Amino acid sequence: MSIFQSSLRKPLIEGKKSYQEITSQILDPLVNKPIKLWYFAITLSGGAMLFGLLMMGWTIWQGIGTWGENRTVGWAFEISTFVWWIGIGHAGTFISAILLLFRQRWRNSINRSAEAMTLFAVICAALFPFIHLGRPLLTFFIFPYPNTRLLWVNFNSPLVWDVFAIATYFTISLVFWYVGLIPDIATLRDKLRKGLKKTVYNFLSFSWKGSARDWHRHEVTSIMLAAIATPLVLSVHSIVSMDFADSILPGWHTTIFPPYFVAGAIYSGFAMVLTLLIIARKLMNLEDFITVEHVESMNKILIATGSIVALAYITETFMSWYSGIEYEQYMLQNRMTGPYAWAYWIMIICNVGSAQLLWIKKLRRSLLFTFFISIVINIGMWFERFVIIVTSLHRDFLPSSWTMYKPTIVEYGLLIGTLGIFFTAFLLFIRVFPVISISEEKSILKTENALQVAKEIHHG
Amino acid sequence: MDNKDYISVYFDDEDPMLQALRRLKENNLTIIDVLTPFPVHGIDKLLSVKRTRIPVGGFIFGALGGILAFWFMTWVFTVSYPLIIGGKPFFALPSFVPITFEMTVLFAGLSMAAGMFLRSKLKPDIRFKPADERITDNMFVIVIGSNANTTRESIRTVLSGISIIEIR
Amino acid sequence: MDEQFIFSKQYRNILPILAAVSLVVFLLAVVLSGSGSARIWSNILLNNQFFLGISLGAAFFIAVHRVATSGWQTVIQRVPDAMTSFLPVAFILMLLIYFGMNDIYAWADSEVYEGLTGAKKIWLNIPFYFVRMVLYFAGWIFFIRMMKKNSESLTISSDLKYHNRRKIFAGLFLVFFGITVSASSWDWIMSLKPDWYSTIFGWYVLISMFVASLCFIILITWLLRRMGYLKVLRSDHVHDLAILLFAFSIFWAYQWFAQYLLIWYGHLPEETSYFIPRQHEFTLLFFLNLGINFIVPFFGLIRTSSKYNLNRVAAIAAMTLIGHWIDYWLLIMPETAGTKATIGLPEISMTLIYACGFIYIFFRTLSHGPLIVKNDPFLQESLNYES
Repeated sequence: MSIFQSSLRKPLIEGKKSYQEITSQILDPLVNKPIKLWYFAITLSGGAMLFGLLMMGWTIWQGIGTWGENRTVGWAFEISTFVWWIGIGHAGTFISAILLLFRQRWRNSINRSAEAMTLFAVICAALFPFIHLGRPLLTFFIFPYPNTRLLWVNFNSPLVWDVFAIATYFTISLVFWYVGLIPDIATLRDKLRKGLKKTVYNFLSFSWKGSARDWHRHEVTSIMLAAIATPLVLSVHSIVSMDFADSILPGWHTTIFPPYFVAGAIYSGFAMVLTLLIIARKLMNLEDFITVEHVESMNKILIATGSIVALAYITETFMSWYSGIEYEQYMLQNRMTGPYAWAYWIMIICNVGSAQLLWIKKLRRSLLFTFFISIVINIGMWFERFVIIVTSLHRDFLPSSWTMYKPTIVEYGLLIGTLGIFFTAFLLFIRVFPVISISEEKSILKTENALQVAKEIHHG
Repeated sequence: MDNKDYISVYFDDEDPMLQALRRLKENNLTIIDVLTPFPVHGIDKLLSVKRTRIPVGGFIFGALGGILAFWFMTWVFTVSYPLIIGGKPFFALPSFVPITFEMTVLFAGLSMAAGMFLRSKLKPDIRFKPADERITDNMFVIVIGSNANTTRESIRTVLSGISIIEIR
Repeated sequence: MDEQFIFSKQYRNILPILAAVSLVVFLLAVVLSGSGSARIWSNILLNNQFFLGISLGAAFFIAVHRVATSGWQTVIQRVPDAMTSFLPVAFILMLLIYFGMNDIYAWADSEVYEGLTGAKKIWLNIPFYFVRMVLYFAGWIFFIRMMKKNSESLTISSDLKYHNRRKIFAGLFLVFFGITVSASSWDWIMSLKPDWYSTIFGWYVLISMFVASLCFIILITWLLRRMGYLKVLRSDHVHDLAILLFAFSIFWAYQWFAQYLLIWYGHLPEETSYFIPRQHEFTLLFFLNLGINFIVPFFGLIRTSSKYNLNRVAAIAAMTLIGHWIDYWLLIMPETAGTKATIGLPEISMTLIYACGFIYIFFRTLSHGPLIVKNDPFLQESLNYES
């Protein structure tokens, strides 16, 4: 059964497949041995991960004196990276939730990997508060339990909101991802012959049999989870932004922060999805499922969110000028021309300049350029957090305590290490679970094939 | 084989399956279940599947979670250990909103997922055997209740003209 | 399919009469209550902003759906299209503010102006204010006209170049709109309180106008349906309109709360000076604003079945539309009229005048073309749309 689609729409699954072909083409790379490039990639990311773990161990063993933070700049590299990872996670939920509600068909072949990316990004992010505490064994202090003096955690503090927001976000993302995975795990289970692997997948498939009533509940639950995940994704990065905006520091205390952080998060997250998908597409032979049309659609989201971020920069700049408050004005002047001006201008070039290039259709449809730009954007977004955090802290109200911050090798190690953890987890994920939602691809197959036929007729 | 009390009809496409379903309904045959590799549009109406009440459960549990979180924070800061923080009142309503919201979402989401697992009896089971391994690939199966009058032959007659892969 | 909206004589007569009666009531009410010219001007500014917002929000609706290559909205496409025709009128009405500058903008007073700091002196002065106003309107009217012209061409020709062109203009419009809608809200509303600023303000106003616009689209769809038009409208279209209203009402509440929470938490006197009078002097309206604009659409539309019911969705849209008028009232009136601000006969009658004018222009434009653009490449998709 195909749903009527305008002839302007392009098919999102290439090659007029049958249901069987979808199953086998998505699962074959999983059942077969990985290609050489995969081994190369996992060695690289595994190495980065080991280096990071080493640095993490060193931090915990020695204490956070191994970092460059000082009495004025108490937050710097680690919080930047924390916010960066949380932001990257947002695109997964955005793709699976908001695009599901808006019925964008192109989300079907990217949602699974985007959701997995969310989970791994949130894990990477959650590591930072953990090691930033200095004494990770005392992490339970942040949970609401009455300590020996019957004192509770401070529910008025955005940092405690963060604990709740991130815990909820991780849990709901995990549930959403797994609920979506169950039918595909069942497909994998039925594809495999006997053996331990089959037993494991049988266990993980939750005895899914594909009954119409089960599908009905599955669909309703998925769409409802999407509906609650949509405001959730907004709330999480808003709360992260309030870690800064609830203070009264110039550059941090500004009301645009919550929506601006959310837009920035989706921006960097989409860039990361593009980076990953362009890799996964190569590693797993998914060229028919992740097409140029998908990349173009995602690039359009990059233009939109990138422009919103640019608008936020304009607004901040205007307001600090317009406000007439000298602290606000100095903050911005310091960002643009102070000792960290290089970071500010990297941020502007990478975030504002790059996405605007995607207005050009040719660049938007070029995989190589997209891969390049997606990395540039994530560099820019990392610098955005760095600029916000460090420039506001290193010169605050009291000039006598103005200082500079310089990251140490340990801190670079933590960033590289989380990148390693992230990519290792993703590379393992694409070997273990179907990276594209098989059942969802099948449900749109007829429509796509009809479009494919229409396209062929059109081109003669 | 004939002592089974159901008959399965196999299709390799959803269109003949839906057509068959319509015809079986016209002939007042009991349809026990339909197994498909993906959610087929329009099948719910044919089988008169009632809309699940999972979202209602989610709403109730979500409200519960929100109320619980809000009540707890209020109790902590007005009764258990009132503290002045940042010059704010003990009952600092705006700053209770974020956690209340998060807990609402957490409870709603977990309860809906739990509802789905419980209602569909989905549980990890290593001894589970699917009815047919092709169902998750490309087979659409209608399971019909059989009795003295409903036999494989009679169903074949009812479904004549529709492309069927097999009946067993 | 070839439906043509006829602007019936009945409506053509009633609307001007109602407007005239309202005008008489307004003048009488102003004179009898002894309120000065400030009340007249602030009412004009309030309704200019509100109805301009509805009109611009419709353009935003069109442009976003266009850029997202969305198809479902094609059957009701002409409704937001016709709503934008109010813009030139809004332009003239905004220019009229020139004669009331001293009554509403504190900084237009030369003494206050001298007390401003450097940046504000550059930004807040009467010549520059109007230069910017002309610029905003020129851009909006140009881009919207281009989008509309290409859409109209599709009623006669089925050449896809028109579709591609209107899509390009939609993208350009969105960029221009993003910047100018923020800037214009700073100019026209935020500068009413020249010592106050909030970076989220422009985005907050944008969402408020968009929700008001959605409400209007829903109400008109309901009305056209009652008049016997739009036979092709399916409950699936209603569902999508309802989901937009639902989602953006939540988003509006989110923006409201983000601004409130940060200012409440920071507790800086230069920021709280905005919320203190609103919350303490106009407590009822302050909470009514949140109640109508968030609680009503949230609980009214949370059930899936209620989103398919046009009557129900329209009832909620009507309430939410009033709610956003109150939102605009709270943005403007406490600054222009101070603690004396109320919602009395002058406010209601002035709003009625504007509403009659807006609807008159809207219906006239709608009757100029067929209700459904025949050659729209997404029409078939929209007709067969299933949500």
